[in-house]
Amino acid sequence: MATQKKHDWADDEELDETTTTTDLPPPQKIQNKDGTTTIIEYSYNDNGQKVKTTRRVRYVVRREVVNPRVAERKGWAKFGASANDPAGPAPDTTSVGENIIFTPSINWRKDSKDESKDPNAQSMRDKLKDKKVKCRICNGEHFTARCPYKDTMAPIGEAGTADMAAGLGDEAPAGAASLAGAAGPGKKGSYVPPALRGGPGGRDGERMGGKYGERDDFATLRVTNVSEMAEEQELRDMFERFGRVTRVFLAKDRDTGLAKGFAFISFADRNDAIKACNKMDGFGFRHLILRVEFAKKAQ
Amino acid sequence: MRPILLAGHERALTQIKYNREGDLIFSVSKDQQICVWFAHNGERLGTYRGHQGAIWTIDVDPTTTILASGSADNTIRLWDVKTGKCLKTWDFPTAVKRVEFNEDGTKLLGVTEKRMGHLGTIVVLDVKVDVEAEQADEKAMTIVCEESKATVAGWSYLSKYIIAGHEDGSVSQYDGKTGDLIYNIPIHELNQPITDLQWAPDRTYFITSSKDKTAKLITAKDLEVLKTYTADTPLNSATITPKKDFVILGGGQAAMDVTTTAARQGKFEARFYHKIFEDEIGRVRGHFGPLNTVAADPTGKGYASGGEDGYVRVHHFDKGYFDFMYEVERERQNRLAAAASA
Repeated sequence: MATQKKHDWADDEELDETTTTTDLPPPQKIQNKDGTTTIIEYSYNDNGQKVKTTRRVRYVVRREVVNPRVAERKGWAKFGASANDPAGPAPDTTSVGENIIFTPSINWRKDSKDESKDPNAQSMRDKLKDKKVKCRICNGEHFTARCPYKDTMAPIGEAGTADMAAGLGDEAPAGAASLAGAAGPGKKGSYVPPALRGGPGGRDGERMGGKYGERDDFATLRVTNVSEMAEEQELRDMFERFGRVTRVFLAKDRDTGLAKGFAFISFADRNDAIKACNKMDGFGFRHLILRVEFAKKAQ
Repeated sequence: MRPILLAGHERALTQIKYNREGDLIFSVSKDQQICVWFAHNGERLGTYRGHQGAIWTIDVDPTTTILASGSADNTIRLWDVKTGKCLKTWDFPTAVKRVEFNEDGTKLLGVTEKRMGHLGTIVVLDVKVDVEAEQADEKAMTIVCEESKATVAGWSYLSKYIIAGHEDGSVSQYDGKTGDLIYNIPIHELNQPITDLQWAPDRTYFITSSKDKTAKLITAKDLEVLKTYTADTPLNSATITPKKDFVILGGGQAAMDVTTTAARQGKFEARFYHKIFEDEIGRVRGHFGPLNTVAADPTGKGYASGGEDGYVRVHHFDKGYFDFMYEVERERQNRLAAAASA
């Protein structure tokens, strides 16, 4: 096996020797005392300059004893799906993975526990430390789905804006009360759309799937300045990176089928929507720069 | 170490086997083909085509002449290792979940599935380790598992016993010649199926892995549990490494059971335990799904793992692996060295 010694630039005194003669000196081989061989070769580079290459090579014979059966098997012809593959590993079936550091250790368990203290996990824990589960119906410390008043009461922020439902609804009771006061029994005779009619009793059956509409809104992004040629699937692919996308709506012209330039993307989780909003605002898509913001609740 | 990734299969791996010299790796998956690879560089030598269903199991005889495979198409097939030709097909009423040659390659056992009114059985076939020879059609012996079907089985030293692991977590010992049941001992938790059974090089003891999240080292002679290795995930496979006293366990939450994904990607790692001290000493990550099978190189230089993700990863150990020793082991070695020089 031939190994090339590390080439030191200081050794090549005459690497770029420019001459006009066309004949090259014959290559030389010199046996050195330390067992290495020096090979000197001459050639022309792309600029027509003569280049002298000096290499010092050491030949090492490494003998490996192999089971004769194993050696015989190495010469077997390939068959089946590999019959037409050339010698050596085929790139479509065989590849080399990234380096894995594996050193057994008695304290492995302890070491891996330290890993759990890595800053990422820690910061997440800090973030969640002060967070409490808060019911959107009765403000109790349980999930809304588990609320005992789930069927009898409506969420506090229901009559308010989408932002309240998102958990910023500390003033929710006040807002709800004022809105209900304005739209409810206050002005008699004026028409109030069913969606805005207040009161827990008056709402049942009038809003079909209303709860989901609410939920949609606070995790929905409005994307504007979308290219005409955009497809829903492309948008979905782009936004799915941030979390589960429940709905993609791309406004299209009925006649031409071209996009009108805006779209709505609903996420399953508001946090994903926030992330997507921050990341995708100003993103260059096709030839335009996207503008992403939270959708305003349709009133 | 840089693992070699073998992407010859399109579906989940079911079993990997090294041949006796450790230069070839045979892998089978649910995609109906068998692949054989050179262990040193991951070059594929060939494929064996013919099965019509998912292949559950593979084994190669000690001389690497013939290959046996069991499949969901209800057959055991015998192949010529060198050319990929199918030599013989045995038909069964149900799928074959495990095949294994005995130590001299004269007998082959197969474990058949319990299904469609048929009870699970362990069949023994006489095999001639010769590519040219005519193989017998008749089964030499059939053991019927009436209580709980066998999931895995293997031959003990000198083909004296057949050891089987069952779906209910028990391990049975059958006489290798007559097929009589000698012992049936509940080893793993009740109704937690045994998923793998692999032998130590001399076949006097073996390791079983189970869905109850443990692997156990058991003697073949009286089914005594020597060691227990406890993991935090259901196990699919376990193997004993030669040269170093380690065992490798593979498992992970099954793909259909995964409901949440943790930061550590669902425990899809090969776990190394010290065989004697039962401590976990390290893990090797890399797969994207649960590990379905792990196999140790009989020369002790490496191991291969196959996952639900369809990849085989072949690992050649670094120096650190061979240098690792417990303090007591090192002291013992020093004492022996001192005694030898004195």
